[in-house]
Amino acid sequence: MSDAGPLLQVRDLTAAFGRAGAAAPVVKGISFDVAPGEAVGFVGESGCGKSVTARAILRLAPEGASVTLGGRVAYRGRDLLQLPAREMEQVRGRRIAMVFQDPMASLNPVMTVGQQIDDMLRHHQNLSRRAARRRTVDLLGLVGIRDPASRADDYPHQFSGGMRQRVMIAMAVSCEPDLLIADEPTTALDVTVQAQILRLLLRLRHELGMALMLITHDFGVIAGMVEQVFVMHRGEIVERGAVDAIFRDPQHPYTRALLAAIPRIETARRSS
Amino acid sequence: MGAGTMGRMVLLRLALTIPILLGVSVVAFMLMRALPGDFAQAAAGTTSISAEALDTIRRQLGIDRPLWEQYLAWLSGALVGDLGRSFVTKRPVAADLLPRFLVTAQLTAMAGVIAFVLGSATGLASARLRGSADWLVRGLNSLLLAVPNFVVATLIVLLFGLYFPSVGIFNYTPFMQDPLANLTSLLLPALSLGLTVSVTISENTRAAVLEVSSQDYVMVARAKGLPRRAILLHYLVRNALTPVITVAGLQLAALLGGSILIETIFTIPGMGQYLFDSVTTRDYPAIQAIVLVAATVVLLMNVAVDIAYARVDARVSYE
Repeated sequence: MSDAGPLLQVRDLTAAFGRAGAAAPVVKGISFDVAPGEAVGFVGESGCGKSVTARAILRLAPEGASVTLGGRVAYRGRDLLQLPAREMEQVRGRRIAMVFQDPMASLNPVMTVGQQIDDMLRHHQNLSRRAARRRTVDLLGLVGIRDPASRADDYPHQFSGGMRQRVMIAMAVSCEPDLLIADEPTTALDVTVQAQILRLLLRLRHELGMALMLITHDFGVIAGMVEQVFVMHRGEIVERGAVDAIFRDPQHPYTRALLAAIPRIETARRSS
Repeated sequence: MGAGTMGRMVLLRLALTIPILLGVSVVAFMLMRALPGDFAQAAAGTTSISAEALDTIRRQLGIDRPLWEQYLAWLSGALVGDLGRSFVTKRPVAADLLPRFLVTAQLTAMAGVIAFVLGSATGLASARLRGSADWLVRGLNSLLLAVPNFVVATLIVLLFGLYFPSVGIFNYTPFMQDPLANLTSLLLPALSLGLTVSVTISENTRAAVLEVSSQDYVMVARAKGLPRRAILLHYLVRNALTPVITVAGLQLAALLGGSILIETIFTIPGMGQYLFDSVTTRDYPAIQAIVLVAATVVLLMNVAVDIAYARVDARVSYE
C-alpha cells in the first residue's frame, strides 16, 4: 500500500440517534483527513459529538442504540461505511484500533488480561497459542507493566485504573494498527497517571509509526501530543489548524473559551 | 483463588450444613406431629377400633412417649445411619427410600437439564433477537408462570391420554429393566416439572444478557474486531452466566417440591410420591428421612453453586 494520500479521509460524516424520520442528529456533516503517521486532536465539550465521530469510523454504536451514519469514511480509499460486516471485522483492531475512556469497565472481568490480548492476536494474526502468549507478554512489557509474564495471568480487578489503561493500550497496539483512536484515554485517571499514559501513547506512536486520533475535552492534553487540532461544537468542526497556530491565535469564540478553561500553572508563574 | 482457599471454603460450607440439618430435622419432627391424627388412627381408617387397641399400637411404635424422648431416640439412630423402620412396611426406612430417591434424582436431573437448556436458550434469544422473538418468549413465560406445574402436568396427561394413547403416560419403567423405555417414560413428567422452572431461568438469563450487552467491554470486544461468535461466547455468555448459575442452583428446591405432585400425577415411584403416601399414613420415620435427604441434597447443591460461581468468576472469593 502506498503512503501517498491520506490514511483516513472523512467526508460529510453524519450520525443520528433514533429511528429514521425522528432521528436526532449528533454529528452534522464533518470532513477531515488523517495522514499516515499523523497525530490529530479532537477537542470539544461533552456531547459535542467527538466520541460519536470516533465510534462512527469503526461503526460502533452502543448496544441497543440505533445510529444512522451518513457520508463517507475512506480508509486507504475504501469506504468503511459500505464495507460488509465480515470485512469490517478485519479493519477493527487490526488496521484501526481504539482505546476507550473508562479502563475500569473496558476489560472483561472473567478473562485474564493475557487472554484478552491473546484472543485478538490469534484472531487477526493466526498466531499459535504459544506465539500469541509470547507476544502478549512482550506487549505488556512494552506498555510498562512490570513482571509481564506473571501479570498476564492476572484478572482485570487485580490492576489499578492506570495499569488497566496500559493493558488496553497494549491490546490496541497489539496488531500494529495504522491508526489508533484514543477516546478520552486519560479522563478517568488520576492526574499523575494521566501524564504517564500520554507519554506512553506518544512513545508508542513514534515507535510503531502509527497515526493517532486523540479525543479529549481538555486542551491541556492536546498540547505536545498532536500536530493538527479540530475543535468540535454541537456536532460540527468549528475550527481547525496546526496546534501551535490554534494555541497562539484561536479564531472561533468557542475555541477561545476552551483555551481559557485550561488551568495553567505557567500563566500564574509568568504574571508573577 | 488458590486451591487451598477453595478447599477451606468447601470444608467450611460442608461443616455449616450440619447445624442446618439438625434444625431441619427438629422442625420436620415437630411439624408432622402437629398434624391432626397419627399413624394408629390413619391405619385404623374408618373401621371402628377400640381406644385400647389404638393405645397398644402407639405404645409399640413408641409414639406415646414425650416428644423430646422420641426425638432423641430418632437422633441417636440417625447419627449412626439408622433412620428407623417404616410404620407401614416395617422395613428399614433407608431400604425403602434409596430406590425411590434414585428415581427422583433422575427425574429432577432430567427436569433440571430441560429447564436450564430451555430457559437459557429462550432467555438468550429473547435478549439478543428482541422484537417479536422477545414478545413471544416473554408472553409464553408469563403464561407458564401463571399456570402451576400440576396443571401443566394434568394438561399433558389429558392431551396424551386423549389424542396419543399409544405414548403411554403411566408406564414408568425402571432404568435397570430397560434404559431407553425408562428415559422416554420420564420425559413427559420431566417436561411438566421443568417448564415452570425454565421460566425463572429464562427471565434471569434475559436480564443478565441485556445487562452485560451494555457493558463497555462488549463494545471493546467489537472494536477488537473479534467475530460475533467469540464475543457472544466469551464476553456475553460467560459474564451473564454468573447470576444465572445462582438462580438455577436455587431452583433445585423448587424441582424437589414440584416432584411430589408430578410423581403423584404420573404415578412414578419416587421420593415425592413416597412423601405424599407417608404423610397420608402418618409414617413418621419415613417423612423424617425424606425431609432429611431432601434438605441434604439442597444444601449440597448450594455448596456446588458456590464452587461453580468461583470457577466462572475470578472476582468471587470466599474469605
